[in-house]
Amino acid sequence: MKKRWRDSPVFSPPESHGASDPLAITDLRSWRLREPVSNRRYTVMRLTTRSGLTGYGECAPTNASQIAEAKSVTVGRLAFEAEFIRHRLAAEPALEAAVSNAMLDIVSKAAKVPTYQYLGGPTRNRARVLAHLEQKTEDGLPRAVELAKQRGYKAFTFPLPERSQMTRIQDHIDVIRKRVEHLKSIAGEDSDFVLDGAGSMTPGDAAAVATALEKLHLLWFDEPTSVLTNDALSKITDESVMPVGLGRDVHDAAVFQNLLRWGCIDVLRPSVGLNSVRKIRRMAAIAETHYVAVSPHHDGGPIGTIAAIHLAASLPNFFIQQIPLPASDRDRAMRAAITGGDHELAKDGFAALINSPGLGVQVNEAALGEYSEESI
Amino acid sequence: MKRRQFLGAVAAAAGSLGTSSAAAGQNCPCVTSGPPSEMPPGSGDFKDVGSKLRITGVKVYGVTLDAKIARSDRPYVFVKLETNQGIVGWGEATLEGKASAAMACVQDLREFIVGSDPMQSEHLWQLMYIGSFYRGGPVIGSAISGIDQAIWDIRGKALNMPVYKLLGGPVDPRGVRGYYHAQAWTLEAAKALRDQTVAAGVTALKFQLPTYMEWIETNAKLTRAVKSMETLREGLGPDLDFAVDFHAKPSPSVSAILVREIEPFHLLFAEEVCPPENVRAMQRVAKRTTTPLATGERLIASYGFNELIELGVVDVLQPDIAHVGGVTALWKVGALADAAGLRMAPHACEGPIGGIASLHADAAMPNFLVQEICGAVQSGERDQVWEDLLGFSAMRMVDGRYPLPDKPGLGFELNEAALKRYPFKGTVPFPPAFEADGSLASQ
Repeated sequence: MKKRWRDSPVFSPPESHGASDPLAITDLRSWRLREPVSNRRYTVMRLTTRSGLTGYGECAPTNASQIAEAKSVTVGRLAFEAEFIRHRLAAEPALEAAVSNAMLDIVSKAAKVPTYQYLGGPTRNRARVLAHLEQKTEDGLPRAVELAKQRGYKAFTFPLPERSQMTRIQDHIDVIRKRVEHLKSIAGEDSDFVLDGAGSMTPGDAAAVATALEKLHLLWFDEPTSVLTNDALSKITDESVMPVGLGRDVHDAAVFQNLLRWGCIDVLRPSVGLNSVRKIRRMAAIAETHYVAVSPHHDGGPIGTIAAIHLAASLPNFFIQQIPLPASDRDRAMRAAITGGDHELAKDGFAALINSPGLGVQVNEAALGEYSEESI
Repeated sequence: MKRRQFLGAVAAAAGSLGTSSAAAGQNCPCVTSGPPSEMPPGSGDFKDVGSKLRITGVKVYGVTLDAKIARSDRPYVFVKLETNQGIVGWGEATLEGKASAAMACVQDLREFIVGSDPMQSEHLWQLMYIGSFYRGGPVIGSAISGIDQAIWDIRGKALNMPVYKLLGGPVDPRGVRGYYHAQAWTLEAAKALRDQTVAAGVTALKFQLPTYMEWIETNAKLTRAVKSMETLREGLGPDLDFAVDFHAKPSPSVSAILVREIEPFHLLFAEEVCPPENVRAMQRVAKRTTTPLATGERLIASYGFNELIELGVVDVLQPDIAHVGGVTALWKVGALADAAGLRMAPHACEGPIGGIASLHADAAMPNFLVQEICGAVQSGERDQVWEDLLGFSAMRMVDGRYPLPDKPGLGFELNEAALKRYPFKGTVPFPPAFEADGSLASQ
């Protein structure tokens, strides 16, 4: 056994901070939100500093005790202490995402620059976006593609068709192929698609699908299997040249490092709801040395979308940002109300950067209150 | 044709610096060149999403110190970036034995930089590393490093934040733990050094091997090397940490013997236990010892560290902020190492700007171990030069740590006029070493 260091990082106690530091965090408030029709849930947190600045961060659904934990960790810290938060909340990835992003919003506002500039961007002047379609049926999907197209999207995820145990894999592949061709006929020749496997296939079946559909030039095959072992994934990536995207549930950079090392991932897909912007930047740094792209997964709300676009504009190896596209007008209205306007529209397949301090939007707390299951 | 003329002018200027500066009518020991021929590639694409800040000038200073107080092979290479809003940024591109090449390379990168928005540190790093075709290497790496540090200095000043806070720190507000260089070849000397070190509040030191090493070594030299480290542990006592820099002197075969036999002395780490190019050769050494191993000072960009990290070869990484690619690249190597459970002990054996820049990156790394500075426990004449240039005792520890700057950016103002007192006297090659039979020694 090698001699190992057992000491953990030494972070200063909160009481050592200057009592008058304007960037000391004095309050954390949160809203647990639910969209009225889709029932998609997410949590928004607001941090307030001694100087009165506020910052907003969003994450995957949390409960009241987790929010109390976030508050106890955060209040008294300084808004730039992101590494403290990353370590202290390592076991609560959703909390780390919301708190760290809210802190980033604050320090960018304090510096009077958009978050992407605070982080060393822009690396691009717009961010390519991917519409995540809610519908799963043969009838619903074309309508969803039409809607996304109207909203300026040119890239779309679509789910694997359902398959009964009696269906041969070759027949199933034909069904998938027809689905792609049908959706492409609606979306247009210049459209692109991601096949969302949602971790539902065996590695062997996924390898067969990936190999058979290579020439469709899908952007990638997302989460083809839930078996994230090197051997299982290598079965897919060794047999096929179709790119594979993985990682919507991953919140540990070492997991991505391992997948990259074994050459079984082509697109890193850390979730915006489980990983802060700063944490995904660390993951992206690892991917960069393998010449691998980052395309964060997102199934949360509009504040998460905006944070993700800032992230995209700070990364060299970003490719496309997934954005949920609710089928219901009421859900979309809620999302627009929260951020004071619809910031999830695209133009020619790209989202615009917001060149205003912080996240660059005025969060509407009345709307947060209106749509919250609980405010803490 | 125009580009060739530009390169020729820089080469000529680098060869006789003081004269060419005077001829240019400039009262400073720096290399300058004419206005850029065009905006940096792609900069127009950011007019609606970038800041209004623009880099307006690049200056490169060669700074030669008296050979009695600093190694003559490494005159400092300082980079100054000027902006349209009066903010200036400083960085360091010092490269041992290759000063003129590093200075010329900074000017080669000038057309990517002048006219650009310094807020785009990531984009500009990519532009210099990828956009200029040749990736990496120590000359390009050092030039990028100097420019990148200066960009971060500007960013911090523009955002009114010390750089370590921009990076998410500080991890430890008391400062950054460091070690000094030392030598003690006898037990008495080691005990005296221990007393000095403890009195100064310093907690770690680094030493060298006593001799160069051949491909396979004799009993006499192996025994002498092991004995030197035994003496150190005995003289320094159990509480002081010490590392030994093997400086790529031994082959993997020789090194494997040494690092195994020094295990009882519990080194903080053994550094560059064999030459760095062949990762799997170093892995052969690592597999056969419990002594923590460190390497990385000659590697460029996060790409240069990837295999080393993923094969789990060493325990400690030592990128040098003046070569690896500046703050941007040092931070990325730290992120890779953190995910893999490795510690960071950045190398710095050049001037004060790189040392200070390194402190900022260190202060935002939870996996930071210790920072090198090529100074001794007792302050020397070189520290006075640094005080002359920066107005304070740069890189002197207080209670075993380098204090963190409070000011925005890298946290210092360099006295440009003081640079005239240390005019550039040209490149001095890194001195080669030879064995008794005249064959070249590894180092």
